[in-house]
Amino acid sequence: MSLPDRLRESLRVRLLAGTLLWILATIAVAGWGLGVLIRDHVERQFRAELRIHLDQLTASLVIGRDGAPELSGPLSDPRLARPYSGLYWQVDRAAAGAAPSAAGVLRSRSLWDQVLQVPHDEQRDAQLQEHRVPGPDGTWLRTLERVVYPAERPGQGMRLIVAADERAMAEPVRRFRATLWVALGLLAIGLAAAAVLQVVVGLAPLARLQRELAAVREGRSQLMSGSFPAEVRPLVDEFNAVLAQNSEIVARARTLAGNLAHALKTPLSVLANAARAGGEGDLARLVRDQVESARRQVDYHLKRARSAAATRIPGARAAVLPVVEGLVRAMARIHADRRLELAVRPVEDGLAFRGEEQDLQEMVGNLLDNACKWARRRVELEAKRADGRLIVAIDDDGRGIAHDRRRDIVLRGARADERVEGSGLGLAIVDELARLYGGEVRLEDSPLGGVRALLTLPAAA
Amino acid sequence: MRVLVIEDERTLAAQLAQALTEASYAVDVAHNGVDALHAGETGEFDAAILDLGLPRLDGITVLKRWRAGGRNMPVLILTARDNWHEKVAGIDAGADDYLTKPFHMEELLARVRALIRRAGGHARAELACGPVVLDTRSGRVTVAGRGIALTSHEYRVLDYLMHHRNEIVSRSALVEHIYAQDFDRDSNTVEVFIARLRKKLPANLIETVRGLGYRLACEE
Repeated sequence: MSLPDRLRESLRVRLLAGTLLWILATIAVAGWGLGVLIRDHVERQFRAELRIHLDQLTASLVIGRDGAPELSGPLSDPRLARPYSGLYWQVDRAAAGAAPSAAGVLRSRSLWDQVLQVPHDEQRDAQLQEHRVPGPDGTWLRTLERVVYPAERPGQGMRLIVAADERAMAEPVRRFRATLWVALGLLAIGLAAAAVLQVVVGLAPLARLQRELAAVREGRSQLMSGSFPAEVRPLVDEFNAVLAQNSEIVARARTLAGNLAHALKTPLSVLANAARAGGEGDLARLVRDQVESARRQVDYHLKRARSAAATRIPGARAAVLPVVEGLVRAMARIHADRRLELAVRPVEDGLAFRGEEQDLQEMVGNLLDNACKWARRRVELEAKRADGRLIVAIDDDGRGIAHDRRRDIVLRGARADERVEGSGLGLAIVDELARLYGGEVRLEDSPLGGVRALLTLPAAA
Repeated sequence: MRVLVIEDERTLAAQLAQALTEASYAVDVAHNGVDALHAGETGEFDAAILDLGLPRLDGITVLKRWRAGGRNMPVLILTARDNWHEKVAGIDAGADDYLTKPFHMEELLARVRALIRRAGGHARAELACGPVVLDTRSGRVTVAGRGIALTSHEYRVLDYLMHHRNEIVSRSALVEHIYAQDFDRDSNTVEVFIARLRKKLPANLIETVRGLGYRLACEE
């Protein structure tokens, strides 16, 4: 994933990138600014020092009896007496307004055998000039000069030069800068760590939000719980409200379907019974046929309505064992006359379906009911988890269903045998519900000799 | 055998009562939950057919109260609600069977017969006592393979005695189980039915236990 994509997708990356970039920019500007300041400061000090030496030189210069310049006494700085020490002075004789007629008529001892070659400027009396000239041993020197016209020899100018090695200025700047960058580097690391900490701590509620959502989606909890900061709270409340409303809508749809069933089926019963009592007349037969057709239609559409209401509600979770136990109790009563052995293999603790309990009941109930209708003596049920799926296998020892009829029975709700009571919709409804949950139902040969109905559904964590 | 029908839709209730009466049952009808609760608590019934969506008190509550009060007659729930959630809830409340509307009357009659038979501990649809065989499905009675004709009340008395073979059945229990509530009861008529049955059945089959009632003596 490229950085722009990451920036778009992650708040954390966005915040971190922004903060770190800002820290880097601030540190860089501060380092550059402080560097400039210190260089200016050192340079000014350097110049001031040169000026002091020049003033001292000017004050000490006298013209001897032979007309040659000389010093009234040695200058105070000992470096001037040490060869190549980096601090020098020199006196040139200068013709007025022209090139110096003789360079280095008088020089500091530190210059030893060197003569400074300082370019000539148009200059007036007492005006200070600066230059940068090569010095001994390939060094570069900064010079400060002034031309004086001694009273003894008017018209005969003297150029007084002091020079110092540039390194004397560069060295403290370099040292300061090194310290400065180390300090700024440490500051940057500290700030970055603080920024990371802030982002992690600040975004922690979002990470918790994510975990809570995952728990709801995987069916481990019904609603999002825990306390969240005021910025996130409204989102959580809204989401919980939507979840609650969803289950309410489903519950209401179920109740409505139930009420409708009641409202339609009781009059249908009355009609059917009246027609049956009415004997074998054409009218009686017509009413019987139509009531039967109406019954199938009502069954079909009500079951469809009920399964359509079974939208996958996030957070729904149904434990398998109580559902199976309840159904087995019901089957034992409803099919009591058949005296079947109803065997349930041990169900793993905590095995749960990621969906509504009533839907699981409807699916397993229909399959178990079918198995009980077809079985000769024995029905077996096994529920287990495999690869994150819930597998329910229901076996009977009946006479089975031909391979080529199985699809029809599942898909169109065809009845396997018209002599057995039932709408024939059972498997079609199971199939529809299972698909809604991303699962499926398959009919296979059972090791018991009859049919194995294999129901695959999402398991809850 | 006496059956309690609880159904708030009056036409359907009447149809049920008629079909059950034709099948030789004494039938009481209740149209709401409160009446049903009272009838079931005070009367002796061999089976009840219970609708769930009842006015005043719902069927599940009625059933639970009966069971809590020790009323053990078999109960068949007859309802339009046909999802397994409600079937399981009905069975867990104490129902013995569950039939959804619309239904076939023959299916209902077969289930009621099976319920009564199972409640008496009888596995087979044919009840036998010596040479006498009563087929609960067809309502035919044969003695040594030869059919005999019985009136509706005679059949009810014999049916009850056959379901309670070798047990002492009191005269009042017989009255309770062969007459509906609103019938003008007279325990003396029971003696008349017993006397008629004794004429039609082999001698000494119906014993009189002095001071207690009657007993159908069968060789096991």
